[in-house]
Amino acid sequence: MARRAQPLLAPDRVKLYLSLVPYLAERGQVTVTEAAADFDVSPEDMRRMVQKLTVIGLPGEDGYWQLDQDLFNINWDLLDGEDVIELTNTVALRRVPRFTAREAAALLSGLRLAREVPGMDDDGVVTGLIEKLSRGASAAPADVIVAPSTTDDVRRVVAEALRTHHAIQFTYRAPDAEPLVRTVDPVKVHMTSGEWYLQGWCHLRRAMRTFHLARASDPVLLERAAEHGAEHASELFGGMNTPASPAPEDVAATIRFATDTAPLVGDYLSRAEASSESGITTARVNVGDPRSLKRLAARRGGAVEVVAPPAARAATADWARAALDQYAI
Amino acid sequence: MAEKIPPEERLTNLVVALMATEIGLTKQQILESVSGYRQRYEQGGVTAALEKMFERDKDDLRALGIPIETLGDLADPNDLREARYRVPQAEYDLPGDITFSPAELAVLSLAGTVWRDGSFSQDARSGLRKIRALGIDVDEPIIGFAPRLDLTAPAFTPLQQAIENAEVVSFTYLKPGDAAARLRRMKPLALIDAENRWHVYGIDADLEEERTFLLSRIVSEVTPTGEHFDAGLRAGAGERGLAGLREVLERNVAHLEVNPGTEAALRLSRRSRPAARGIEVPYLDESIFADELASYGPEVRVIEPERLRDAVITRLRAVLELHEGRS
Repeated sequence: MARRAQPLLAPDRVKLYLSLVPYLAERGQVTVTEAAADFDVSPEDMRRMVQKLTVIGLPGEDGYWQLDQDLFNINWDLLDGEDVIELTNTVALRRVPRFTAREAAALLSGLRLAREVPGMDDDGVVTGLIEKLSRGASAAPADVIVAPSTTDDVRRVVAEALRTHHAIQFTYRAPDAEPLVRTVDPVKVHMTSGEWYLQGWCHLRRAMRTFHLARASDPVLLERAAEHGAEHASELFGGMNTPASPAPEDVAATIRFATDTAPLVGDYLSRAEASSESGITTARVNVGDPRSLKRLAARRGGAVEVVAPPAARAATADWARAALDQYAI
Repeated sequence: MAEKIPPEERLTNLVVALMATEIGLTKQQILESVSGYRQRYEQGGVTAALEKMFERDKDDLRALGIPIETLGDLADPNDLREARYRVPQAEYDLPGDITFSPAELAVLSLAGTVWRDGSFSQDARSGLRKIRALGIDVDEPIIGFAPRLDLTAPAFTPLQQAIENAEVVSFTYLKPGDAAARLRRMKPLALIDAENRWHVYGIDADLEEERTFLLSRIVSEVTPTGEHFDAGLRAGAGERGLAGLREVLERNVAHLEVNPGTEAALRLSRRSRPAARGIEVPYLDESIFADELASYGPEVRVIEPERLRDAVITRLRAVLELHEGRS
């Protein structure tokens, strides 16, 4: 939960107070560090917020100053001496507020995606949570839905292996390469854009690798326990295009496209050197096999041109020609 | 010079005051007594600026989901001078029967991580904070899964806001094959991620017919029109939208021949079912599917439908033309 604290606007701080008061009331005593981490603010911010709380309270009667019992109060000695927060007077806000429509919507869509993990909703946990969040919102959350995708054996076996800490084996076909049987200690599944990428220790390569599970088949849950665990997982995983290899052997290629179609080129550009002139962008990209650019070019139907190396350009023309030949036209 | 009270202090004081009153407080009472207003009131009385500040504060608090009730003068509902304001505790509190087990919190914590960044990720985190404020701790976090939803479409946030507000929006939409983008007015009801693309499902405000649009084809800003629709239309909209997409999938089925062992066979297999000759693959959008099929080159041949077949051939011809000869 360690994130860079962003500058907070007044309403954001109010929102924090509304959750902070019941949080503190519930916990009794809590260290500044722990509360700061739970609320995504710096310890200095948390200390200041708690100090400020002591000037907040019920309105004074008929213009008189507020009395002590009308204000929140904290144990100052504890805060100053041990950096621990304790509320000693609470005038309101003791109860946890409802979720805002947006809070509920953000969590609901996350739940719908999490439900894709086989086994996650086996005892109805997710379904129950969806009902609770919807009912606990202050206004109806917008429906933000993730269409369920089909679960296959590969996903089922991987999920099972992760849960029980077993190694797995599957046949893996890297793009334009022969299939290989791989044994993997699964560490983490990245679910993104509807695809599953498995990060794990590859026994064949004796290193961490990321596998695009759409390329895996014939999964087997092995008897042997997974030896490599979460300590190897990285937050980020390599480029989408070469998920199974960091590839020091990458080759430079040149592609060209109308600058305003850059989003169509997508991930390829994340590590490219690009220059634009009169609406045309020329980009130098590094790819494992430049001939594989034929797939990108063909997908974009003439919007992306493979310029160099010549072998890649010829491969693209051949690719389209061979495809058209099938149609006998 | 009156002491300067920071706005968060004034706003929190206002919430506390409005929650402590059963019968409600008038604006006059609030400005006189609530710390943050009181200091300014003592200096200059009720000024236009002070009244404006109060109105803005009410809006800010309502935007945080705080239910501020206005109890008007029964004789004249439009006369707000005697209106009383309060926050009804029952509408503010999370209902007492909603509780969460540590296992549920673990699942929710995972769900809260799906939004990579941006305002939705903050919303998810502040929602989780409320649950943790109930005094629950995660027993054992779920590790090993990192689900992610992407929010690259700029239209997403304004559409989501419009759904919440039940507000008609307008935008221009470019359909593939159309020469120019068309202006659409829509009652948005649900956002649906299907086949990795965000769709907005709703009702075309001019035709009064159900429509589903791809967010990636919205080429203008999404503009709220200020016109509101019946929020009741939103009930069950996500499921209706999904059902509509399922119907499209039933209607749009491609008959393909695929070379076994190829990339195409691999990528299409999840979505396909065997046919008499080759495979059948349902698809949502002809243009997007034609792009994908073209990328497979000679690994796949489209048998039917003809329009899809023609769309793939058109793409391949353009590629061949562009790449024949030297660059």
